[in-house]
Amino acid sequence: MKTLFLKDMRYRQARVVLTALGITVLVSLILLLGGIMNGMRIQARQYVESTGADVWISAEGSGGAFIGFSMVVEEYMAFLNSAQGLTPDSASPLVFAQARPTVRGKSTKAIVVGYKLGQLGGPKSVVDGKMFTPSNFEDYRPEDPVPYEVVVDEKMGLEIGEQITLGNEKVRVVGKAKSLMFVLDTPLLFMDVRIAQKILLGNTPHVNMMIAKTSENEQPVQAAAGLDALETIEARTLKQTLGDIIAYYVDEPMKAVQFLRVMLWLAAGILVGMITYVTMLEKTQEIGVLKAIGAANSYVMGLLLKQVVLISGVGVVLGLILAYIFAAAAPIFVAIHLVESVIVACISFVVCCGSGYLAARKAITVDPMIAFRGEI
Amino acid sequence: MAAIVEGTGLTKRFGTGDATVLAVDAIDVRIEESELVMIMGDSGCGKTTLISLLGCILTPDDGELRIDGEPIDPVSEDLSVIRREKIGFVFQLFHLLPYLTALENVMVAMDIASTKTDEAESRATELLTQVGLADRLHHRPAQLSGGEKQRVSFARALANRPKIIFADEPTANLDSRQSDNLMSLIQELRREYQTTIAIVTHHEGLKENADRVIQMKDGRIVTT
Repeated sequence: MKTLFLKDMRYRQARVVLTALGITVLVSLILLLGGIMNGMRIQARQYVESTGADVWISAEGSGGAFIGFSMVVEEYMAFLNSAQGLTPDSASPLVFAQARPTVRGKSTKAIVVGYKLGQLGGPKSVVDGKMFTPSNFEDYRPEDPVPYEVVVDEKMGLEIGEQITLGNEKVRVVGKAKSLMFVLDTPLLFMDVRIAQKILLGNTPHVNMMIAKTSENEQPVQAAAGLDALETIEARTLKQTLGDIIAYYVDEPMKAVQFLRVMLWLAAGILVGMITYVTMLEKTQEIGVLKAIGAANSYVMGLLLKQVVLISGVGVVLGLILAYIFAAAAPIFVAIHLVESVIVACISFVVCCGSGYLAARKAITVDPMIAFRGEI
Repeated sequence: MAAIVEGTGLTKRFGTGDATVLAVDAIDVRIEESELVMIMGDSGCGKTTLISLLGCILTPDDGELRIDGEPIDPVSEDLSVIRREKIGFVFQLFHLLPYLTALENVMVAMDIASTKTDEAESRATELLTQVGLADRLHHRPAQLSGGEKQRVSFARALANRPKIIFADEPTANLDSRQSDNLMSLIQELRREYQTTIAIVTHHEGLKENADRVIQMKDGRIVTT
């Protein structure tokens, strides 16, 4: 009679299926929420890491590059290119600003990255088309005819030669870069720093930040500390900048999501506990009869726990599968890590089984005297 | 004859304070090997409480109980062991598990006693054949008549070769023909398995089948 618990489950199949489905949905939601946060973290890192810069310089009081409002005057370029601890001439100006380009008549979100071609800050090459035409940055005059050209993220689906509108200007797509989406699948538009200044910064001779490489024997922490001592700029290492970005763009806004994940675990536990308890109430007479004909508490507990374990196990496994399917089909980047999946699955399984165990403990206190009353 | 069940001064109260009900009042009772005893009396006189005490489902507030010559200590002993090894129960409302077949309902009792599945199946088949249900082995309770369900219930009670079977109003939900058939079966089973049987009943007509009648009133035995 090893299948006694299975026969009971088949008899109550509607409830069993609903419980397992409830766990499935909750586990997949927990994993998907984690996957969205992972995706945001990965996207927050990938552009910053791709630049190859070791030191990030922003305006004093900005709280770091990418965080607060930052405008740095171009004159710092000359200073940084000869600053101690930095690789000579490695400094690059960077405009990094959110924009609402009109693409094929529709307003969409994007981040404009204006940088000096050949320097840090943007792709070295394109996967399709060509790089934009660079301005002569140091000897630039506003009346110089620099073409309004842009290299777009390959995932934007734009064709070479197509035009998009940025502000009041038409910008022509000349190349496609390997995808480097920013947080929440925000595509990057790479263009010459002077065009970015014209379109987004009112043609002022400022940039949002400057980036540079440290010299060969210099530690980034020391180089950044040396620059940070200056009163008008803030300097951060790559590691600090990544920490700032992840805290600002992911962890802070996602605190509510983390809370929601804990709530979902709680909901999964309550769901299994409640349904086991309600099932137990329905089976009180049955449990009483089993005890009256000699079943030990451990036998009854075994029957109930086998059901709880099976329902929780099936629910958790289906939840994992569903989460991976949803992640693949999601309209935003969702990264579910295998290790995290295993941890979430284990915690969910333990929570569900734990609450089922508590309900089952209550069930075994049924008085066998109940067998002398009522119907099953 | 040896006593299978022997209770001395058995007392059971329910409730507390002014609401206390003395369900069984210092009863001395002895049921001997192979005996068929009827326990009779009005509703609420304590019949079911008495067989629950004798069947180790309830623990007495006072008094001593011996089963098969062994004293029972409800505090230190696991009464479920005694119930599955020495006692069989038949309930008024049959109490068969609705999701199991007749065969599986009998096998459950042996599963509880850790009998191997093959052995349990073989004995359950034998018992169900004995009670006339050889062609109903794979029927669920919902597919059986009241009389057939009670037969399955008796087969389940006999499964672990108990020393005594307690049956609570086994004929209450059966018509007179089914009641007569069941009593014939009980006599037959008793002869076949030498099992002691104690039946709680209101049914005066069953008296003639008993070796002895215990008449109860207000928690006490008035005649035996």
